[in-house]
Amino acid sequence: MAEHVILFAGPMGAGKTTAIESLSEIETIRTEANNTDRETADKDTTTVALDYGEITVGDEDKVRLYGVPGQRRFNFMWTILKERAVGLVLLVNNDAADPIQELADFLDEFGDLHEKGGVVVCVTRSDVATSPHIDQYAEKIREVLPGRMIPVFTADARNTDQMRTCLMSLIANIEMTAMIAASQERAA
Amino acid sequence: MNNAAPSAHKDPHIIACAGEVLEGLNEFCRSLRYATFLTDDGFEVASFGGDDKQNRRVASMASSMQALGDAVAKDLRIGAAEYIIIAAETGYVIQMRVPDQLMVLAAHFDAAETVGKALSVVRLAASNMCAMIRREAA
Repeated sequence: MAEHVILFAGPMGAGKTTAIESLSEIETIRTEANNTDRETADKDTTTVALDYGEITVGDEDKVRLYGVPGQRRFNFMWTILKERAVGLVLLVNNDAADPIQELADFLDEFGDLHEKGGVVVCVTRSDVATSPHIDQYAEKIREVLPGRMIPVFTADARNTDQMRTCLMSLIANIEMTAMIAASQERAA
Repeated sequence: MNNAAPSAHKDPHIIACAGEVLEGLNEFCRSLRYATFLTDDGFEVASFGGDDKQNRRVASMASSMQALGDAVAKDLRIGAAEYIIIAAETGYVIQMRVPDQLMVLAAHFDAAETVGKALSVVRLAASNMCAMIRREAA
């Protein structure tokens, strides 16, 4: 039975906790505290350690879903959780003050997960803010991580089917990366 | 919980109270190396010892620890987490929620202190903080 550890990262308010809630087959573990930083995001609570959920893919592949806190002051949790991860779902809310810069910042922090398995970008709240367009995200990805194949989706974090599409795309990338690495090892 | 209160880390009265309580904690327990009051979401309210960078970092980490402790207690259905102890080679850290407030006290003691005494002074400091906030609000 294969196990994948997938991180859900992105700025505060991007929908990481909601996305894991949508996907998980088990009762999720949440570590939320009352949000006192209303200037950054106008929401009642914020994740201060991690979110955790699980989903089975195929017959028996277990995928462990970890959500990291969105605020940089919790970046020690980013380091801890990144260690075991093989893939990243990067969520960016389109209604953020500067979503393209948020994308660049988080790719800078977590982009190396592409080499370990794969990365997908999931743009949320595009129904609330219609710009920037998805092409602008793709352009920024090409600029920050040139030559990497990183799919970009728009999705509603509350929608299980949409989030599952993002996740399955990531898992396909991870498995392809593993196959390429194995064939290169055999050839060496 | 006092959800309607302004953010503790931005309230000068609460910051002053926290500073006063921490001074008292240090006078009462000389093995105290460092202590900080923090909001549930990891903002430093006031600290004793440490530099600004360390204070902010400890506040964030203590917030995560508190939330993880709460999550474990919830998952095991053993009621609310009362306190957390991290025992290390040369000292230990005790953290405890301030009663009825969205605030936590985290304190680092050297190994010379007994856990029992450290725990009781942290409990006393947390309840003093609660009492001071209530007096301020009255």
